[in-house]
Amino acid sequence: MTGSSNSFVSKFTSPGDNSIIRNEGFEALEYLPVPTRRSERWKYSPITKLLTNSLSTKESDSTVWPQEISPNPVPHLDAYLIVFRNGVFISSLSDLPVSEGVVCSPMSSAGDQVFTNTYHKTEWVGAMNAAYHQDGMYLRVEKNVVLDRPIIVHHLTDGTDAACFPRHLISIAEGAEANVVVWSSATSESTGMNNGVLEAHIASNAHLKIDKICNENGEVFHFSHEQIIQESSSNYSMNTFTIMGHWVRNELNILSNGSGTDSVFNGTFLPTGSEHVDNHTTMDHAHPDGTSSELYRGIMYDNSTGVFNGKIFVRKDAQRTNAYQQNTNIVADKGASINAKPELEIYADDVKCSHGCTVGQFDTEALFYLMSRGIDLKSAKSLLVRAFVGDVLNSVKSEDLRNEIMNLYSEKHNW
Amino acid sequence: MLKIKNLHAQVGEHQILKGLNLEVKPGEVHAIMGPNGSGKSTLASVLSGRDLYEVTEGTVEFEGIDLLDLDASDRAREGLFLAFQYPVEIPGVSNINFMRAALNGKRAHKGLDPIKGKDFLAKVKECAELVELDGRLRDRSVNEGFSGGEKKRNEIFQMAMLEPKLAILDETDSGLDIDALRVVSKGVNAMRSADRSFIVITHYQRLLDHIVPDFVHVLSGGKIVKTGGPELALELEEKGYDWI
Repeated sequence: MTGSSNSFVSKFTSPGDNSIIRNEGFEALEYLPVPTRRSERWKYSPITKLLTNSLSTKESDSTVWPQEISPNPVPHLDAYLIVFRNGVFISSLSDLPVSEGVVCSPMSSAGDQVFTNTYHKTEWVGAMNAAYHQDGMYLRVEKNVVLDRPIIVHHLTDGTDAACFPRHLISIAEGAEANVVVWSSATSESTGMNNGVLEAHIASNAHLKIDKICNENGEVFHFSHEQIIQESSSNYSMNTFTIMGHWVRNELNILSNGSGTDSVFNGTFLPTGSEHVDNHTTMDHAHPDGTSSELYRGIMYDNSTGVFNGKIFVRKDAQRTNAYQQNTNIVADKGASINAKPELEIYADDVKCSHGCTVGQFDTEALFYLMSRGIDLKSAKSLLVRAFVGDVLNSVKSEDLRNEIMNLYSEKHNW
Repeated sequence: MLKIKNLHAQVGEHQILKGLNLEVKPGEVHAIMGPNGSGKSTLASVLSGRDLYEVTEGTVEFEGIDLLDLDASDRAREGLFLAFQYPVEIPGVSNINFMRAALNGKRAHKGLDPIKGKDFLAKVKECAELVELDGRLRDRSVNEGFSGGEKKRNEIFQMAMLEPKLAILDETDSGLDIDALRVVSKGVNAMRSADRSFIVITHYQRLLDHIVPDFVHVLSGGKIVKTGGPELALELEEKGYDWI
């Protein structure tokens, strides 16, 4: 283990359950390097500042739930709820589905479940999660069962120098359907790290939809890594909304592991102050006749920094793939910046791939047009921003959730 | 209502308006004609507050206030309206929300409460009928996918909604077929009144057959070089600008 890596993890505790994944994590921590700017994947998201902190895992939930955060982040949404605080499952605040063909429980009581992603073998951040992972949600929806309501997975980071390692597993059987909201929040005084992994298997003809919202106050480093594995003719759709976050890295990996899969993934990020938001996505078309559509929109305010990196692989056998990627960014203030990079690697010859990536300013013609009708500059800008975000927001099916996200953006940005 | 004195304006180093004088009284319709590049659209832009232009000399007084001291939205709130030569498409902002925001911005400026939903919709219906604007266009994003004629009708629709004191129509007739020209003119004429004035910028006499002006000015080289009645437009149509 390298020196800094060794001291950084020294106060983390693990239950010592000797599980394969945990052991692999510990092994990997011995040989994987701590990411630095020298690595292309971390060039624009250095974690140097995180490493200067002395974090520790928080075990108990003996203290009362903090008042500033509602245990249910979307109270108007008719949904199930599974709540975690600092990685620990809170049964008393959760409302799990109990119906035939659905198993939903904390990972800690789900028995031996197998994760197949290899994130912990390639990235130090992933190895940390594997070695020290805490609880998470286990969801299994059986063949042709449609989960009647969405499940909200709420993770709260709460405390000083807290290290949290949630780890979730979702398995949607053939022809089944589920809708999950993954929500993370943090109290205003919180500092530390929320390092989460989510793996989802979507069997043939199954549907999974995830809306992921990061609304973390305080100064928490947020790492989330999703590995999605889609079998033939399955559908996956995901929206990633970063509302608030001191330092956020969203990593989404989708593997099309059968023919005719459909993947739609969108995101918005509007960092302010000195916030940092990084969206890394990988769409891997390994089989024929798949379609994917990606739309990420960002507006960087104040001294914030943004990163977009969107990889699309079309493997040799993935003929007739139709992949679309768009990333549109606005740099609203002088001190703000974005590093945007689309990466397409295409090895098949009969494919349709299009991508567009832009970085610009507010459309001055549109602003003048709005102002010439008596709308002041601030309102004109917020009309344009809401329209900009609206294209992504409209892909959220539930109106209640959509309104909640818009309200939080509005509150933050004072629209 | 509007007093322009010795107005000089430039874009970058390029001087476009070079001492323009114009006075518009309540209820009057002034047509401004002139060759390409004479400064007609610059005048419209400078009056409506587009940042691109720098005023280097002269004054513009509107209803007794210094117009040049206000930003574009405050000018609109004081009662100025510009019908754009090239209306801007704004994806994602619905025409109707746009108008609600504009109307309420103007009302807030006057210390009035936001307009009631029912009254707003009644007004929308009335103004849309005036310019025969399709109901679907009201709900669509601002100008997005509108034809040239629909965009211009949408401008007049907005004018009717906002009831300005002074409206500047910047080549509203460009790109219009005969029917659309008739509809747009009908909308403008319906809004003519003793206390509302218009500045109509155009290249062609045909618009002035429909919207009959009180004065016709010829703008050339950044100044008004000739002023007359409606007959001047006919003469220009026949002889061009060279004789002036």
